[in-house]
Amino acid sequence: MQTRPVIRYRGVHKAFDLPVLEGIDLDIHSGEMFGLFGASGAGKSVLLKTTIGLIVPDRGDVEVDGKSVFFGDGRDLRRIRDKVGYVFQHAALFDSLNVFENVETGLPVRRLRAMDGMRIARLVWQALERVLLDPREVMTKLPAELSGGMKKRVGIARAIVGGPDILLWDEPTTGLDPVNTAGVQRQIRRLSRELDVTSVIVTHDIEGGLEMCNRVAMLEGGRLRFLGSPAAFRASSDPIVRAFVDRAAAEAAVDLVATT
Amino acid sequence: MLPTPNGLSRTGWRALVPQQVTQGENGRHEEHWATRWAWFGTCAVRGFPAVTGRSETPSRAERWLAQVARAGRTVLQHSGEIAILLRDIVAALVGLRVSPRSILRQMYVMGVQSIPIVVLTAVLAGIVTSQQGGYQFTGAIPLYVLGSIVTESVVLEMGPVLTAIVLVGRVGARITAELGTMKVSEQIDAFYSVGRDPVSILAAPRVVAGIIVVPVLVAIANLVGILAGMVSAQLTVGLGPNSFLYGARLYWQSWDLFYSLTKALVFGFTIPVVAIHMGLRTEGGAEGVGKTTTQAVMFMTLAVLIMDALFPPLLLD
Repeated sequence: MQTRPVIRYRGVHKAFDLPVLEGIDLDIHSGEMFGLFGASGAGKSVLLKTTIGLIVPDRGDVEVDGKSVFFGDGRDLRRIRDKVGYVFQHAALFDSLNVFENVETGLPVRRLRAMDGMRIARLVWQALERVLLDPREVMTKLPAELSGGMKKRVGIARAIVGGPDILLWDEPTTGLDPVNTAGVQRQIRRLSRELDVTSVIVTHDIEGGLEMCNRVAMLEGGRLRFLGSPAAFRASSDPIVRAFVDRAAAEAAVDLVATT
Repeated sequence: MLPTPNGLSRTGWRALVPQQVTQGENGRHEEHWATRWAWFGTCAVRGFPAVTGRSETPSRAERWLAQVARAGRTVLQHSGEIAILLRDIVAALVGLRVSPRSILRQMYVMGVQSIPIVVLTAVLAGIVTSQQGGYQFTGAIPLYVLGSIVTESVVLEMGPVLTAIVLVGRVGARITAELGTMKVSEQIDAFYSVGRDPVSILAAPRVVAGIIVVPVLVAIANLVGILAGMVSAQLTVGLGPNSFLYGARLYWQSWDLFYSLTKALVFGFTIPVVAIHMGLRTEGGAEGVGKTTTQAVMFMTLAVLIMDALFPPLLLD
């Protein structure tokens, strides 16, 4: 049964020096794990960033839970951002804040004002435990003192601490070794299930993405080249999709050889 | 007929052009004047060959026009972005969304930590002015006039301008590099994503701190510069403190102090605003941070010197 769309991209156009997105129409449904593939520069991250207004499209609009991101008022956008957790490609932790303070910023401002210190500490603690970090060990550390994998996990903790309905993952496994990559993929699956959220995952890791997601899309030349199930993606006869899958498989094989 | 500018709608140009093509009296399609100007604008942005598809080199006039349009576009872009930044800063201040603790922290970083370098600069400025004046005036005019020359030079010019130049390097470059690094590492986006306003958190406290601390630093620089000049006058040309202060009082007007502190206030506002603006428009990783910081230092220095040149006709008779 088709669930209601929680994110709707409507004719999204964006160009920087050259066109990046040329009229993207896409619905993402409640509870889905949606994978967005495409070559570098295909506009995956740009599309993801339009979801919470980090990039403003030249034309078109995005709706989250029926509210317009770009044509609503400021309160609508605040509410949208409160219910969406965004995991950045390189974690984007605030350098001057320690891990506790970084995760704390993920709590919506209005909720934060109504909470006492104990409640905030408990939520931060739980979020860190959910991403398999020992709060006692990392809470007072600055981002510069963490490894790449730990930074990613703190970034995930910041995205989930506010109890979002939607999680946006921008290249969550980029820059990680295969062991950490597998760990982060397991976490994405587990958190999406436990928190009962809709997840949109932008990734270069096609195999990992196909395993995790129940629907995928591929961007090419600023347009949606493919939209469907992972099985249909694997079996696609579209030469561009095929070339992309084959190249991704070859790159994965090279990575595997390099690490073994 | 000029070729249609490809891709204008994507950058919003077409929305500005009332009508691409109109029906002329003779029945042929004629271009609207706005289309022609939009075409020149696009050529300026994207280059003639990209728009026209022509392989031959554009003429000198075309290149000149494109350069002028490109420069105009850059100036308008910077002006517009600074205006939006100022609007957001005012909104954050009026909405009481700026933490007093952040302002105090920035006052410490920009003000207290800058005192040693500002004092050193002021001492050197006072000594040089005094020595040079002594060299020029010994035997020509009464030496006590040196007190006035040192005091007026330091208060009207040396104190505010040298302090501002020092702060461009120490504070302005730091702000641009810090915010630029945050921008390229997506920390600014992260603020927005968690519903925080980076202008309230990062920009407004720095501007408020600049407005408060720079006049204080200039007042310190003025005082130290005059004292250094007085000591130097005693040591080099034998002009005692009483004669020096007599000369200083002879031509002193309280307006001079107001002039000096007004300059300081304007510089204290301009340096952080330009630094923040440049930091927030940084793109392109570590190289981009370096490039933007260099540009910011250049713009801030130029802004200080241009405003310094505008002050005398505006505030001095």
